[in-house]
Amino acid sequence: MKIMLMTIIYTTLIMGTLITLISSHWLLMWIGLEMSMLAIIPILMNKSNPRSTQPATKYSLMQPTASMILLLSIILTMMYSGQWSIFYSNNTTISLILTTSLIMKLGLAPFHFWVTEVTQGTSLLTGMVLLTWQKIAPLSILLQNFPTINQPLILASAVLSTLLGGWGGLNQTQLRKILAYSSIAHMGWMMAVLFYNPSISILNLVIYIMLTISTFSILHTNNNLTTLALSHMWSTSPPTIIIILMNLLSLGGLPPLTGFAPKWITIQEMVKNNNITISIIMTMMALLSLYFYMRLTYSTTLTLFPSTNSSKFKWFFHNNKKMIMLAPLITLSTMLLPMTPLLTTLS
Amino acid sequence: MALVCRFLNGTRILRKCPKPCGALCLPHGLVAAYCSRSLQKPGATPGNASQQSRPKEGLQEHEQKEVSLDIPSSEEKPGVSFDESIREEVKDHLRRLKDEIVNHWVGPEGRPLHEVLLEQARVVWQFRGKEDLDKWVVTSDKTIGGRSEAFLKMGKNNQSALLYGTLSTEPPKDGESRQSGFCAMISRVRRGSFERKMCYDWSQYNSLYLRVRGDGRPWMVNIREQKEFIQNKDQMYSYFMYTLLFMGSHVCHVYTGQFTECFNCLFLSYNVFFQIPFSKFFFSNKGRIRDAQYKLLLDKISSIGFTLADKVDGPFFLEIDFIGVFTDPAHTEEFAYENSPVLNPRLFK
Repeated sequence: MKIMLMTIIYTTLIMGTLITLISSHWLLMWIGLEMSMLAIIPILMNKSNPRSTQPATKYSLMQPTASMILLLSIILTMMYSGQWSIFYSNNTTISLILTTSLIMKLGLAPFHFWVTEVTQGTSLLTGMVLLTWQKIAPLSILLQNFPTINQPLILASAVLSTLLGGWGGLNQTQLRKILAYSSIAHMGWMMAVLFYNPSISILNLVIYIMLTISTFSILHTNNNLTTLALSHMWSTSPPTIIIILMNLLSLGGLPPLTGFAPKWITIQEMVKNNNITISIIMTMMALLSLYFYMRLTYSTTLTLFPSTNSSKFKWFFHNNKKMIMLAPLITLSTMLLPMTPLLTTLS
Repeated sequence: MALVCRFLNGTRILRKCPKPCGALCLPHGLVAAYCSRSLQKPGATPGNASQQSRPKEGLQEHEQKEVSLDIPSSEEKPGVSFDESIREEVKDHLRRLKDEIVNHWVGPEGRPLHEVLLEQARVVWQFRGKEDLDKWVVTSDKTIGGRSEAFLKMGKNNQSALLYGTLSTEPPKDGESRQSGFCAMISRVRRGSFERKMCYDWSQYNSLYLRVRGDGRPWMVNIREQKEFIQNKDQMYSYFMYTLLFMGSHVCHVYTGQFTECFNCLFLSYNVFFQIPFSKFFFSNKGRIRDAQYKLLLDKISSIGFTLADKVDGPFFLEIDFIGVFTDPAHTEEFAYENSPVLNPRLFK
C-alpha cells in the first residue's frame, strides 16, 4: 500500500513538472505547477515528528498564494489577448503580476522567508527535492516568457537575493538552512542573466542542481545536520571531508571548480550588456556566500576540530545508505570548469 | 483588534513611571497599568506588591497575593500621550532590529561562531536580579478557580529565585472541574524586534543542567518547541525532576534510577545539580502522554517550565540557581522510548 502511494505521489510530482515544461497553454502550465505542489506536500510531512506539519503548512500557504497570483495574470492575459497560448505581451501590469508570482514560487527575495523554514523542517532528501526539482517548473515559465517579465523587478530581486542569501547564511549552524540560503543566492544569479541570455540561466540551473544534489547526498550519507556534526567527521569518514571541501567551494563559486563557471559566464554576459554596476554588486555579495562556505570547509577539512574522545573514537557502523550517482555527480560538480567553452557553445 | 491592543499597550502614562507603560482602559473606569519593567508582574512576592488605594469607608484592605495593580492615587491626574508612546515603541523596535542585524554579523545570537561551536555548557537562565524574574510567568490553578497559590521572588543574596506557595487539590466549584491542583513557572517566549518569536538552538547540547533546591516534591520539567500554528500549542516534552533531600553538597545525577544511591544521606536540603538528557523527554499533547513518542528536536526551543501537580496539599518551595544546557560526552542515547507497531501501526507502514 505504501509503495503504491509513494509511486502515485512521486509520479504526480514528476508529471506536474513535465506538464509545465512541455505545455504552451497557460492553464495547462498552471495545472502542472499545482500538481507538483500538491504532490510534494505529503512528502514534506515526515511522519516521525509532530513538527513536520509546520513546514508543509507553510509551503501550502505560500505556494497556493503564488499560484493564485499566477492564475490572475493568466486570466488577465486571456482578457487582454483573447488566447490561452503563451506569447510575449507588452502589458506592464500583467508582466508585473506574473513576475511577482514566479518570484514567490522560486523563493527569491523579498519572498524568500519560507525557503529556510521549510527546508529546515524537513529531512535532507526532501529538502534536496524542494531546492532542486521544485525550481524547474517556475523557471521554465520564466524562460518561456523572459521578454514579458518585468526587468527592473527581476534585477532588483536578483540583487536582493544574492545579498540576503549571503547575509542570511552567515553564522548559521544548521546545514539545511545554509543550503537554503545558498539556493536563494544561486536563484539570484540565475535571475540576473535571465533577461539577457536565458540559456545561461539554464546552464546555471543545471550546474546548481548538480552541486546541490551532490552536497545533500554527502550530508545524507552521514546524516549531518549541523556544522558541529560536520566538523567531527574527520575522525569517522576522511573521504567525506575531502568531498565536502570540493563541493562547498564549488558552491561558493571558487575557481578552478565547476561552480565558478556559471558566475563567470553570468558576469561576462551582464558586462556585455553594459550592466556593470549590478554585476559588481552581485560579485561582492557572492563573497559573503563564499565566506560562509569557506568557514564550513575550514572547520570541517582544514583543521582538526577539537572534539571529545567519545566523538573521536566512535563505533564504525556499516553505512547502508547507497548513493548511486554520487561519484559521477561529485566529479561533474568539481571538475567541469575546463569544459566551459563547450558549455557556452551548447547554449 | 490586535492593532488596538498594541496601540493601547504603548500608551504612555505621564506620571512618575520611569519607563513607558501601557494602560488598558476598561469600560467601567478601572485602569490597570501594565509596565514592562518597573511594575510588578503576576506572581510577584506579596511583600513588595503595592497596596490598592481604596476609600476607607466600607472596604477592607487586603494584600495582593498574586497580581499587583499599581493604581494611581486620586491626587495624581495621569495624562496620556499616544503619539509619544507609539514613537518610542517604534524606535525601540527599530533599535532592536538594528541590534539583531549587527549581532547576526557577529555570530549566532550575537556571539562569535567559534565560541558557539566550541562551548559545551551554557547557562541559559540564571537569577541574579529582579530583571531575571521578569523572564518568567508563574501560574496556578487559580486561573480556573482553584485555590493553589504560587509566588516567585529572589532568594537570599540575589543568588537564586524562590518559587513557593501552597498547593491545593480542592477542585473549583464550577460544576465542571473534578480535579485541580497545579502550580507552574514558565519562561516567557523570547521576543525579537516587532514582537517576533525567537527560539533557542540547543542542537549542540544533549542535556539540561539545573542547580535547584527542592523540598522533596516531584516536579515536572516541560520544554516547548516553537509553534507557528495554534493546533500545536498544547504539545510539549516533559520529564520528572524528583527533588529529594540530601545531606552534603555532593553532585549527583538524578534523573532516573540513580537517586537510590543517595538514600543513605540524612534529610537536609541542599543544592543539587540535575542533569536531564534531552533523550529522556517524552511527548505529550493537551496534558496527556501520547502513545506515539517522538524525539525532542532541539533547534527550535521556545520555553521551559516547571510544574508541580503531585496531588499533595500543602506548601512547597523550589529554589533555582540556574538553568543551563550541557553536552555530556558520556551520554550517547538518542531517544529513550520506542514506538510500538501495535499501538501505532501507521508509523510502521
